[in-house]
Amino acid sequence: MHVVVVYDTAAERNPQILRTCRLYLHHVQRSVFEGQLSPAQLKRFERAVKDVIDDGYDHVLVYTFPPGAVPQRLAWGITKPEPSDIL
Amino acid sequence: MPTAARTYWLTTSCRIRRKDQSLLIERDHGEHVRIPITDVRDLIACKPVDVNTSVISLLNQHHINVHLLGYYGDYTGSLTAADTATSGETVIAQVALATDPERAMPIARDIVRATAFNVRRIIDRTLLKAPYTVLKNNTEDAPDAASLMGIEGNFRRSAWEVLDTKLPDWLQLHGRSRRPPKNAGNAFISYVNGIVYARTVTALRLTPLHTGIAFLHSTMERQRHSLALDMAEMFKPMFSERLLLRMASRNQLKPHHFDVDSNQAMLSDTGRKLVVAAVRDEFATTVNHRELKRPVAYDELLYLEALKVTRACLEGDTYKPFRIWW
Repeated sequence: MHVVVVYDTAAERNPQILRTCRLYLHHVQRSVFEGQLSPAQLKRFERAVKDVIDDGYDHVLVYTFPPGAVPQRLAWGITKPEPSDIL
Repeated sequence: MPTAARTYWLTTSCRIRRKDQSLLIERDHGEHVRIPITDVRDLIACKPVDVNTSVISLLNQHHINVHLLGYYGDYTGSLTAADTATSGETVIAQVALATDPERAMPIARDIVRATAFNVRRIIDRTLLKAPYTVLKNNTEDAPDAASLMGIEGNFRRSAWEVLDTKLPDWLQLHGRSRRPPKNAGNAFISYVNGIVYARTVTALRLTPLHTGIAFLHSTMERQRHSLALDMAEMFKPMFSERLLLRMASRNQLKPHHFDVDSNQAMLSDTGRKLVVAAVRDEFATTVNHRELKRPVAYDELLYLEALKVTRACLEGDTYKPFRIWW
């Protein structure tokens, strides 16, 4: 399924969560990631993120889209190439 | 395929680096790109790539194969994960099956027939009816694999000629040529065949089979994975010929997608990207599977085929090679 992840964490934990997200998803913007995850991968990802963050302070949002559905993606301003599997 | 991960295609020359336990693709031109390692099933490198030890150990951990395509788009080799699923018991059963002419020959014969069936289905049913009947009769009493391949060659020659009649002049094949392909059409076919072969190797490596022990092609011929050659055979027309016909008729292929010299041809950079995107989309196309009663991607058909061979080896099922059923 298509997943969009947005995080807001304390500065000292930013590098850790960035690295964790990069293992699973494409980095599209400073604290925004998107990509495809299976339900199992999402579970694993959740565990990895929870290991890193401080439950009392950090905030991570995950938007998932039902399998097969891909959100329409509008990009305004400077255009960065969309994450693709053809490099 | 069983995993949710994807195939990544490298269409420009680059260096694969390990960065934070994930992959970083450094390109000579253009930005560096990071790929999430858990999203990679295999990598197909269409252009030269550099790797180092630390990348290989990371790829090993995640069981990722890297397939390398050469200058003309032909398959040159793979970096395969060190631990394989190959099991001794299965390999022994496979050898027993492959070396027993009583049992191996019917399989080889069926592979040739299924391939011809698929070619006919893709190119032209009516025009290839006669050659197909000839092939069916001749394979009946072919004594060995070599003569089977000769019969298949004859059929293929008529098939290439029929294919030419459906293509614009500049894309016609005028007979199959490889290494190097002589013209644009051949370059296209070689390229897609290389990709199909690479994907077949990945599919086979998910099963306990040995990729080198085959029924039709001689075992470990030219250091190739002969079983992958056997199995890719049935699927090649479904991708190569079909995509060539489709992209030609839709006018998607243009002369600038190829670099053509007097006696050789290859895809240009833009052409390569176009073809890779087309092949990727084709692999993701689904078709309803009759026995599984669910849609399966063309990609997964390769894996299901590998499982059929496994069952033929271990459980003595008769192996029925893949024929396009829709």
